Amino acid sequence: MEKGKFKENFAKFHDKNYKLLLIIPLSILVFGFVYMGIFYSQNHDFIYKDISLTGGTSVTINDGTINPTDLKNAIAGKLEDVNIREISDLVSQKQIAVIVETKSDEQQTRTVLENYLGYKLDGKNSSFEFTGSTLSQNFYKQLLIALLIAFFLMSVVVFLQFKNFIPSIAVIFSAFADIFMTLIVVNLLGMKVSSAGIVAFLMLIGYSIDTDILLTTRTLKRKVGTLNRRILESFKTGITMTLTSLFAVLAALLIVGSFSSILSQIFTIMVIGLSFDILNTWLTNVSIIKWYISKKKK
Amino acid sequence: MKFKLTWKIWLWIIILILSLISIFVTPTFLQKGVLVTNVQQNSSAFEQGLRQGQVIQAIDGKIVTSTEDFSKIIQEKFNSNQTVKTTIATIDAEYVMYSNEIDITVSELPKTNLKLGLDLSGGARALVQAKDHKLSSSEVNDLVDVVSNRLNVYGISDMTIRPVSDLSGNNFMLIEIAGATPADLESLVSQQGKFEAKIGNDTVFVGGKKDITSVARGGQESGVYDCQSAQDGYFCNFRFTVYLSQSAAERHANLTGALSVNSTSQGNFLSKKLDLYLDDNLVDSLLISENLKGRVTTQIQISGGGSGATRDDAIKAAQENMNKLQTILITGSLPFKLEIVKLDTISPTLGANFTRYILYAGVVALLLVAVIILIRYKGLKSSIAPLIICTSEIIITLGVAAVIKWDLDLPSIAGILAAIGTGVDDQIVVLDEAKHKEESLSIKQRIKRAFGIIMGAYIASVVSLLPLWWAGAGLLRGFVFTTVIGITIGVLITRRAFADIVKMVEE
Repeated sequence: MEKGKFKENFAKFHDKNYKLLLIIPLSILVFGFVYMGIFYSQNHDFIYKDISLTGGTSVTINDGTINPTDLKNAIAGKLEDVNIREISDLVSQKQIAVIVETKSDEQQTRTVLENYLGYKLDGKNSSFEFTGSTLSQNFYKQLLIALLIAFFLMSVVVFLQFKNFIPSIAVIFSAFADIFMTLIVVNLLGMKVSSAGIVAFLMLIGYSIDTDILLTTRTLKRKVGTLNRRILESFKTGITMTLTSLFAVLAALLIVGSFSSILSQIFTIMVIGLSFDILNTWLTNVSIIKWYISKKKK
Repeated sequence: MKFKLTWKIWLWIIILILSLISIFVTPTFLQKGVLVTNVQQNSSAFEQGLRQGQVIQAIDGKIVTSTEDFSKIIQEKFNSNQTVKTTIATIDAEYVMYSNEIDITVSELPKTNLKLGLDLSGGARALVQAKDHKLSSSEVNDLVDVVSNRLNVYGISDMTIRPVSDLSGNNFMLIEIAGATPADLESLVSQQGKFEAKIGNDTVFVGGKKDITSVARGGQESGVYDCQSAQDGYFCNFRFTVYLSQSAAERHANLTGALSVNSTSQGNFLSKKLDLYLDDNLVDSLLISENLKGRVTTQIQISGGGSGATRDDAIKAAQENMNKLQTILITGSLPFKLEIVKLDTISPTLGANFTRYILYAGVVALLLVAVIILIRYKGLKSSIAPLIICTSEIIITLGVAAVIKWDLDLPSIAGILAAIGTGVDDQIVVLDEAKHKEESLSIKQRIKRAFGIIMGAYIASVVSLLPLWWAGAGLLRGFVFTTVIGITIGVLITRRAFADIVKMVEE
């Protein structure tokens, strides 16, 4: 009985206020646009880029005895933009390697590190990844183009599927809001985005629209039950979908996160994006579609 | 509930079994021994017919089941420099050889047909462009031919070289070498290798097939000799014979014919030397003895050297320099000055750990999913089914990767995870629709409706992934490949079978 009453009250509240609820995502978006405007004018870019997008060298040294702080102090003046992290064994928590990232080229990095370590770095005790700056800038440009084309193609598919302007726009807008809000958080956290990170944004397109498609199909194309009921049923399904993904990604992040910066970044961006997907599907998209269907009925 | 296998379930089971076969039934399935990964050309083992890919089962009658067995036997046998008889038994032949060393490398037999990418198994990858020149696709193809030939001649076998292009129409050459990284990969790949032998300003011959018919690479005509201690370490000389074409030999005769003879304390030599240039740098100047004056000779000695801190280092350096020079003389110069725009050399040490962690992560993530579904739908059957379906999707995706020999790199693994994520989502949609009993629709219609939603999301996902195939010189293709394969298998096979299972459970 209690539960039924809560449902009823909530439906009443929602019927009255769903348009107002749109203020939440809209204010985040407005804040986001202002923030990104300032961000862009300061950094002349949309993100902080890591060396895979600016060019530079990443070295993994398989040595558990290196003290990262000492290493950083010793080489910071000799290499450009040095960044050091350590990798630890999952079980014993013992350090097994350190990763040095710098904008300097491979040869210089190798020389400076070998001088500090006192031994030669070869294919067994270390990994080197070098990307030239022209190539990485080119990578960045192309990944942005790929992201734009992907978004455009997704929009076309959504339009073809619903053949209905406002509901389609609602889906596309929610997907955009997911990506944009995630971008803001990523920048607020000061994350340096790698090429894999941009792929994660691309993955968000796919992950964010499935719940939106579910909602739109069930509310727009089906006639059984009240609108609120159909929304509630979609919510039950959709939230399970998003939560399973969210928990699965979180678990993966905790396990492999410290090991691979590539996967760790992909998973972090997905966790942020999936969380915003809950907001944007069940607030933004729901309100728009409810508004649209209510208006059509009149 | 009546359990009847529908054709969709049959299809799923058959494809699952085929995938398991394609992953686990290797060419050396159920054999014991070690796999030959490389046989040095011109070595006695090579001459006897032992080749890469064969499985060694015994040496001198002693059974070999692991690489440790192999190295132990070899070390014991060849600890002195004496020539001994060795009998190597493979599954269908026996090779007998007499030598003082065995120039082959072996590895354990592969347990699966899956190929791990360089970022997991270790190796080197170079992305190469021409300096100050935009390569056309046919130019890249030519380049790929010359460089593959060069690396082959140098002795690198486990590699792939292919042209790649990106969204902006740039063409690159992508070189991937599995296993240990050769120390001079950079110079081998990017050095143009323009070799010229000149007398004064006149070119006598250049590297490549046109002027050089063959290059001696072993025996009496090629080798390192004469090591001396130098200022800070040692210096060793090498020399080897090259055979010139008739036209190059005549050119040599004409040019030397015009020179005068100088008498020195070491003997009589011509007034000018034969200068050897590599990429316009003088590497050596050779005195030309008096008796070669004006003679048409097709046989020329080339020499050079190498230095190192110890005598062994110097010998090794001289050998490497000789090998490199021989390689360049045989294969000729590259048509362009090249630049390595991306170079990754990955140590295999962390990869093994990493693969294990990814497996843990996958298992934990799947179990979590099962728990959430168990809480939400309160049915053990409904929570176990997605586990089975997701695992089967991973296996089938890997099966496809094994069949087409796709390199499973990190992006590919992220792609598998992405596909699994949508798989779980789709199954929830199916489960949910199936449980909507209050509506007047039949279960068949409800599941059909679920697939309406699933196919919509599927098509949108696939089209949004496609642009990535061409972006970034194709280095992120693995992600697109496994995701698209995974979700396609999902919506066409596994998730359909799942729907049939759900249908039966509900009925």
